[in-house]
Amino acid sequence: MSGETNPDTRAEQTGLTDAEIVLGVSAAFSGPSRGLGIELYRGANSYFEHVNRAGGLGGRKVVLKTYDDGYQPNPAVTNTMTLVLEDQVFALFGYVGTPTVTRVLPMLKKFQERKAYLFFPFTGAQPQREPPYGDFAFNLRASYRQETAGLVDNFVSIGNKRIAVFYQADAYGRSGWAGVRLAMSRHGLEMVGEATYRRGAMFSGSMRRQVEILKQSNPSAVICIGSYAACAAFLRDAVDLGLEVPIANLSFVGSENLLKLVTEGRDDSQRYTRLLVNSQVVPSYEDTSIPAVKQYRELMDRYDPQPPSQLLKEDYTPFSYSFVSLEGFLNAKLMVEILRRLGDRPDRNKLEEAIFTIRNFDLGISERVSFGPDRRQGLQQVYYTVVESGRFVTLESWEDRFAS
Amino acid sequence: MKIQKLFQKTLVGIFFLFAVISLSTSALCIYTVDTHLSAEYESNSRGIAKTIADSSVDILLNRDLSALQSLIDQFIEIQGISYIYITNEDGEFLAHTFVPGIPTEIAQSDHSSRATMERHLPGMGDFVEVSSPILAGVAGAVHIGMDTGLIALKIQRAVGQQVYLISSIFIIGVFAAIWLVRLAAKPIDSVIAYAARLARERNKDTSDEKLLARDDEVGQLARLFLYFSMVMDFDKARGKPPGGQV
Repeated sequence: MSGETNPDTRAEQTGLTDAEIVLGVSAAFSGPSRGLGIELYRGANSYFEHVNRAGGLGGRKVVLKTYDDGYQPNPAVTNTMTLVLEDQVFALFGYVGTPTVTRVLPMLKKFQERKAYLFFPFTGAQPQREPPYGDFAFNLRASYRQETAGLVDNFVSIGNKRIAVFYQADAYGRSGWAGVRLAMSRHGLEMVGEATYRRGAMFSGSMRRQVEILKQSNPSAVICIGSYAACAAFLRDAVDLGLEVPIANLSFVGSENLLKLVTEGRDDSQRYTRLLVNSQVVPSYEDTSIPAVKQYRELMDRYDPQPPSQLLKEDYTPFSYSFVSLEGFLNAKLMVEILRRLGDRPDRNKLEEAIFTIRNFDLGISERVSFGPDRRQGLQQVYYTVVESGRFVTLESWEDRFAS
Repeated sequence: MKIQKLFQKTLVGIFFLFAVISLSTSALCIYTVDTHLSAEYESNSRGIAKTIADSSVDILLNRDLSALQSLIDQFIEIQGISYIYITNEDGEFLAHTFVPGIPTEIAQSDHSSRATMERHLPGMGDFVEVSSPILAGVAGAVHIGMDTGLIALKIQRAVGQQVYLISSIFIIGVFAAIWLVRLAAKPIDSVIAYAARLARERNKDTSDEKLLARDDEVGQLARLFLYFSMVMDFDKARGKPPGGQV
């Protein structure tokens, strides 16, 4: 008899003991985008902690095996190999970023016999939503295409048709750029200008050249596809150089971190935030009329989850609540539901089957979640937020806020 | 003293010889490295451009542009490749690696040309750009820019190493020449001293057996000086003027 393990048996056995279900995480816990990985982890852990303290799933605790990739593709690939081959986790969960996830996807295809699925990455890019890698990932959040289309449609609707793009020079930026381009082409428009920055840019760096480039195109709105440090620097320099047009950011930016950087230590912070609008893929964490938001706030208050101490290399002060941690919370809530549907003896071979049973599932927000063979993204709704009194609130009227 | 002057002239000669060697080999080195490296970089870049172009077809037709960006981002890490951009059949930029933006010179240039071109981009440097068509050009083209500054840097390094080597050989050669000249000058000094002694101490036994026994030019000179000294002594004894017929 061969000594090799049957792939199906191997898939069934990994990441599972009588005491634990282990999920593997590779995310940014260091570097200028660490706020995203940390907040996503905190939000998810608040719910897992809640479930574990209530006895877990069939007596098993849900445990996160975490690695830091610093929002860089190569460490993300290495971490994934470790998680799949050495740690043999039950599933991959809560990855952060497009440049990281797009490089990991081919590896998931390579390991397809191990059924190493990626659940709910914090990215709205297309590669994990469409062939050839869409079969290996499940998404909860709306896509960048939906976010950028929403922003473009709303800007165009109020007459701001000269849209320029400021974006990160990598797969994430290109994904958002492509979304804007596609949305504008539907209106028979083209973007009027573009400027880029390198991934890993700090808030202390200058974005003046980028602002100057965009100013030359005389835009009536700018859509930023970046992370909070760079986008905050761009916003600061844009206002300082007189680029007084609405500046939009996607959900990935990490709104609270951006706001903190832009406003901290400023008396005139309103000047920097009055034309800011951020799209979100989860509802406002201020709206406690939403059951999931209420539960999220309760669990965050109760457990005050901290980032994994062994991965923390730099100081970070967590937020009480944030859009990113709320997304992490919703990810965890849906993950637990999927694991619950696997029964007392979870089997990785039945993961896909289990998630396809999620139909009109009430996650506790207004939108219901459904999955299927042709539907690998649970939520479709995009929300828009602006800054009022130093915090993000839901945008009520584009016309009133931004019409020129 | 005369030997030192002779040596100085030799030293100057050696210096000029080394200068000529150094200049000519440096020129040859610059030409060879430049030609070979440029050809190699261009060849590699063409290969990479073709690889990206071949891989891009499926992405352009079936997938999101972020996959295309992810693809070119992996190639930009290769040494010598400074920028990559992909245009569609209408010349529109679909993916690129420029920060903070697409240079005006490139944005306004004709992207249909497949010839190798040299570009000067203000603030960025000098580049050689190669292109490869995607789907025979009907789906656009991949363009790759190589930094010629890197080639110049490699030439500078190669020439520097060569000059360093030649200078080292020159310095060692000068010290070796000084030692050899001193070695050669020692018997000549002896024969000069011997001649002086012959002139100064006539009619005395001034023969230097060791010197006279040498079978080289120095020994011959010593024996010649002794002979002339003896002839002069003999002529003087016979009352003839010195230098008369022997």
